[in-house]
Amino acid sequence: MESTDRALLDRKVRKAFQTLILQRSRNPGVKGWELKRHLGRDYRKIIEVLSEDIAPLGLEVYEVKGPEGTDDTSRFLLRFKEPPSISEAETSGIRIDDLAVLAASVAFVNAKQGRVGRRELEQFLREKFPKWRVEYSLDRYVKRGYLEQDDKMLIHVGWRTRAEIDEKTLMTMILSRGSNEVAAP
Amino acid sequence: MRVIALCESVKSSSANPFEVDILDKIAVLRKHLPEWKFLDELLLDSEAMLELAQILKLQDEWLKHRASSLYIDPLLIQFKIKLISKDALIEAFVRSWHPLVQVDQLSPKGLEKAFVYWNDLAPMSERFKSEFGNYGVRPGTIDFDDLLQLRIFTQDQFEDRLSGLQEELLSKSKGDWVDYRGFIARETFEEKVVRAYLLAFLISEGRATMKTDALTGQIWVAPLSKKAGGTPKSVAVSIVGDD
Repeated sequence: MESTDRALLDRKVRKAFQTLILQRSRNPGVKGWELKRHLGRDYRKIIEVLSEDIAPLGLEVYEVKGPEGTDDTSRFLLRFKEPPSISEAETSGIRIDDLAVLAASVAFVNAKQGRVGRRELEQFLREKFPKWRVEYSLDRYVKRGYLEQDDKMLIHVGWRTRAEIDEKTLMTMILSRGSNEVAAP
Repeated sequence: MRVIALCESVKSSSANPFEVDILDKIAVLRKHLPEWKFLDELLLDSEAMLELAQILKLQDEWLKHRASSLYIDPLLIQFKIKLISKDALIEAFVRSWHPLVQVDQLSPKGLEKAFVYWNDLAPMSERFKSEFGNYGVRPGTIDFDDLLQLRIFTQDQFEDRLSGLQEELLSKSKGDWVDYRGFIARETFEEKVVRAYLLAFLISEGRATMKTDALTGQIWVAPLSKKAGGTPKSVAVSIVGDD
């Protein structure tokens, strides 16, 4: 590769990184059409190069497909390549109790074929968490995109869960917990 | 109606969408279609078809979910979540979590752009002037001094016209009430407004009085031989060009 081409690619990769890391709206990430506008038609190739460049830092570019499944509606995000440790998670600013509510909610929604009534979910969570925490956490997770609530008060898994959580691993992990880790009666 | 209610109940819960036998429901709708004569009935029929189409979509999603590796017996997962400790639940979550990375702060370039934008931004009153006229200027009141300044009246003309109007009201009234709209009516709208303004001035001065009928909306005026006392009341009267 010629040095001018290399310099151009470096510039575009840098721009891609800056575009992805700076929060532009309330929701994190950048849509495919925005990247096309900023980086040109070959933005996917640039994203691939960026993904390789940031891998040593423990990061990756992750794509969440939009509802239409087109490139333009896909959302691209920077995320941890590997899950954090418990102590790292504790410093993320989210209360560990809230994480447990989210974990149980996502697992329960998936177990119910991807949709469950809000009241049913609240009732399920109240077996382990106080009522005020359940309501507060659910509202917060709906607002932040981890869960979605439709006009019929049905809860679905949100786009942010699809971006951040490996649902298959979560379900497997929950099922594989042994009897020595059961909750105290 | 029963088909619609059934579909609605399945849609608004996590019930199995395969509980709706779509072929059977379509057969029911087909059987009854020739009986529908009125538009409302046909609309209900099409609504039922729409609901069945939505159930079909749910069935498709349901199948896809079951076919995916995410499908686990719901009872088993509920049982597990209830059974395991909170710490184990948190650990399961954290080990499947890839937090997002983003910077939530202003960049110097962003600040510079914002500063340029602020400098170039016209005031609100200027920005919407072309679209909405004098945006932000509320309708105000106009008093006698304003009219003098606008040269609609001079002081002498005003007094003369005021006295003339009072005499006209006296002659028309002959001790009785006079219809307000009939009294102020003139060929041009401008002249009508001037007469309404002068009459309002006479009433405010206590040289004439006014009464209204809330039921019919009719308004009457009458001259007063001597200035009226008591607490004055405000009456809003609209005058339009066609009156």
